[in-house]
Amino acid sequence: MNVAPAVDMDRVGAVLDRFEKGERSHLVHALQDLQSEIHYLPKEAIKAAAKYLDVPLHSAFSVATFYKAFSLVPRGETIIKVCLGTSCHIRGASVVVEDLRIGLGVGPGETTQDMKYTVEVVNCVGACALAPVVIANTRYIADVKPGTIVKIIEEG
Amino acid sequence: MGIANLKKLEARRSALHKAHENVKTQVRVCSGTGCAALGAFEVYDALVEESKKAGLPVQVELAPCGKDKDPIFVSLTGCQGFCQIGPLVHILPEDILYTGVKVSSVKDIVGKTLADGQVIDKLLYKNPEDKKRLKGRADIPFYKGQELVALEGCGSVAADSLDSYIASGGFSSLAKALKMDPDQVIAEVEKSGLRGRGGGGFPTGRKWRSCVNATGDERFVICNGDEGDPGAFMDCCIMEGDPYRVIEGMIICAHAVGSSTGFIYVRHEYPRAVERLSLAVKTCEENGLLGTKILGSDLNFDISVARGGGAFVCGESTALMRSIEGSVGEPRAKYVRSVQRGFRDKPTVLNNVETFACVPSIINEGSDWFASRGTEKSSGTKAFCLVGKVVNTGLIEVPMGTKLRDVVFGIGGGIIDGRPFKAVQTGGPSGGCLGENYLDLPVDFDALAEAGSMMGSGGMIVMDDRTCMVDVAKYFLNFLMEESCGKCVPCREGVYQLHALLDKLSRGEGEPQDLEKIQRLGKEIQVSSLCGLGKSAPNPVLSTLKNFREEYEAHVNDKRCPAGVCRDITTFTIDPDKCTGCLVCKKACPPDAISGEKKQVHVIDQDKCTQCGACRLVCKFDAVVTS
Amino acid sequence: MYIYIDGKKISANDGETILAVANRNNIYIPTLCHHEALDDVGACRVCMVEITHKDWGGWTNLVTACLYPVEEGLVISTSSDAVRRSRGTTLDLLMARCPTSDVIRWMAEENGEISVRYEQVDDGSKCIMCSLCVRACEKMGCNAIGTVGRGHDKKIAPPFFENPENCIGCGACAAICPTGHIEMKDTRTTREIWEKKFDFVACEVCGEPVMTEEYRDYAIANRDLPADYYTTCSACKKKKLASHFDKVGS
Repeated sequence: MNVAPAVDMDRVGAVLDRFEKGERSHLVHALQDLQSEIHYLPKEAIKAAAKYLDVPLHSAFSVATFYKAFSLVPRGETIIKVCLGTSCHIRGASVVVEDLRIGLGVGPGETTQDMKYTVEVVNCVGACALAPVVIANTRYIADVKPGTIVKIIEEG
Repeated sequence: MGIANLKKLEARRSALHKAHENVKTQVRVCSGTGCAALGAFEVYDALVEESKKAGLPVQVELAPCGKDKDPIFVSLTGCQGFCQIGPLVHILPEDILYTGVKVSSVKDIVGKTLADGQVIDKLLYKNPEDKKRLKGRADIPFYKGQELVALEGCGSVAADSLDSYIASGGFSSLAKALKMDPDQVIAEVEKSGLRGRGGGGFPTGRKWRSCVNATGDERFVICNGDEGDPGAFMDCCIMEGDPYRVIEGMIICAHAVGSSTGFIYVRHEYPRAVERLSLAVKTCEENGLLGTKILGSDLNFDISVARGGGAFVCGESTALMRSIEGSVGEPRAKYVRSVQRGFRDKPTVLNNVETFACVPSIINEGSDWFASRGTEKSSGTKAFCLVGKVVNTGLIEVPMGTKLRDVVFGIGGGIIDGRPFKAVQTGGPSGGCLGENYLDLPVDFDALAEAGSMMGSGGMIVMDDRTCMVDVAKYFLNFLMEESCGKCVPCREGVYQLHALLDKLSRGEGEPQDLEKIQRLGKEIQVSSLCGLGKSAPNPVLSTLKNFREEYEAHVNDKRCPAGVCRDITTFTIDPDKCTGCLVCKKACPPDAISGEKKQVHVIDQDKCTQCGACRLVCKFDAVVTS
Repeated sequence: MYIYIDGKKISANDGETILAVANRNNIYIPTLCHHEALDDVGACRVCMVEITHKDWGGWTNLVTACLYPVEEGLVISTSSDAVRRSRGTTLDLLMARCPTSDVIRWMAEENGEISVRYEQVDDGSKCIMCSLCVRACEKMGCNAIGTVGRGHDKKIAPPFFENPENCIGCGACAAICPTGHIEMKDTRTTREIWEKKFDFVACEVCGEPVMTEEYRDYAIANRDLPADYYTTCSACKKKKLASHFDKVGS
């Protein structure tokens, strides 16, 4: 298990301050901004958002678990998203997942022990012409050939 | 500097036109997702830098009062379509299309082409058929047979520049619409025959009219940019490449239906689309194109950009509206339509990005112009993403009614490595797979639906003989199982069971009665589910079962996957006669199951092999065989 | 207006649903996620009926009775072949999900033969995700439980799967659950639900439990009820009322 670092509530507060207090419809947005600030959604942050926007906690938890964009557990420094869109699927995306599983020792949704990498699978990132595609944080890696992905990522 | 009224808009346009006329050379660097991934931004920066260094009069913005003589205008455009061979640099007026441009090629482009007018042969597109280099878009087969309407500005206007959009005629359609009665605007859209490009194909004009006729003190206009179909990225390209066109379409709609509030809902997987749209909205606000008294008329209209949270079901209109309200995206029954009771229970028009992008052209060129394209019941053009095992992949737009064959073999250039064509998948997870006998099908809403597939948002995924139809159906079911909101039983439990049945087949454990079971369950899910996601979820299975039944039967009766994809019933071996001992498969094998020295026949250790197929993917000599 | 249910001409009011009209006329349409006191959501799909209309040119459609608003001349069948097939499939699927639920099995048997067996997803749960409990809890104003996740793995639970802060132990969720999935353990002095323990207020007359202390506090703060409502159990309240009438009568 990875131990979650303490949550900086000042940062949470600063993100929430950007939104209108008590405006329920900002919930999805606020959670997205919180996630980009702290890279995941700790319990404290969801609670703070629910309170600030006057949303029942169960609704905030429902929203946080419904949408794929949100992670309730800490993630690694580099988030490796393997696109599993149809085009990537038929052009060998599953081999890429396999390569990562063997090379980094983690499967989709998992984070390496040293908190360096999190592997995720996503449904289509809109770069189908370059299939199979991997996105490491903001870097797009196109036309990934079998056996190459781990090296490409580790070399940065 | 605002554009307070029509006069100011025209003044601005004519100033920009003049600036445009002065431009001697235009250099358009494609910054679509594909090209950007391949380094287009670096190429752009280097181009500007290098041109300056060379003392060329380079401009990065259209300057109405520029002092330079014969300036070179370098811009970042949206997707230019031919993603396969990016990054693309298109040079006008000579129509030179440079492909696969790297930062290292920039020096040559500046020194030879921009400074000296020479064409650099090795950067041109090489036609795979005769290995001849082709100079520009006019010569390249991929671009022939295409007709751009919704994608007109995508790849030509500078994506983040309002001026560039105005110079290309932007907002002239709005200006025209504002002089028309709202009813006339709707009548034009009705007459054009425009149908919703998001999938269902509902007549757009009729939708707008129902919204006007619905009772309510407030109306909303929502643009659906939650393009969730895997294998489709048209809307992404339009939002990134021509955001002002989408906004213009929405403002025209607001004028037509009497709305003052709009939303654009963009999926979070498209960060650049969110960024460019937000910037475009802000720029429009600053220039008086959004806000109060737009262009001096009585129209007040605001747009907010809402980011999706990553849920395919939010492409469904009622779920999308729930999501903008800040809730879980669960659809509701549509016995009362959302044009009557939609967002916040008020009458709401919801169209997708491409639909709104067609509107400015319809108003500007007239409904007859639009209706004269396409087929009788599906007028106009349609953007598609041509992807999969096809030679030329990318973003295309063709008149409705174009034959599948012309798309796949004409524009697409046929199948990779000359392998046999097997099927083309349209309509994403709600669509189906059409085999060879459908190649002469004219692509429009009704023809696709009749063939058991659907238009969907426009993904077109080409498959060869190494694609297993059971695997494809299973893939979509797995996708839908994860994306189902889980509210209603047929979708939540039924899709799960369908997936379980297909999984059984792919493991070689299928029983003869399973095919009947799949068929029956699929049909019941179609009629019993709550929303469009569930109702269409069985389509990929039912269509492949109908069109590729032998392949299903091979899985059940012979416990064999003819395409060599389903791992549990496939064995990979190396044909010693074909193997050249090149080591490529050995290097690619994830579990290190391949042994063999250079120039000696390689062998796969069956105990170690995980049947992932990596070796077959990389082998250039067709030496990896499956059984 | 008039509508026709299973061949019977029935008067109906604008704005009513098919189910409301059927219930009023004692025509049985099975339901799982419907409750009179709560808004309908159309999740369980067992109240499916087939509709048509003389002006529809023979076109028919399957709709959920709980949500479909009636219209003049609507012709409804509550048990056509299409209805039975759809309902049967839904119940077959639920049986695979909750094989231990008697309610689902009875309903399936009543609908007709159980034709298709699907792979069992037996996690010992009887939850059919009808969300009645969540809606009842919302209606109470407590918002202690909600849906978690989506798709096949969707669950109903308190936030973070922790013992729910807002729960007052009113038991509405357990009472409304159609399959008896929600566990509530009562003793004479305590109640346990959603892994949270409550102490009962004892009746000042007989000592039997009245309600949980949390429920009492919540009701005092939010409802305007007579004081003995919180101190006396319902049986003793009835006795008290009866003796009052006795006195009035004599």
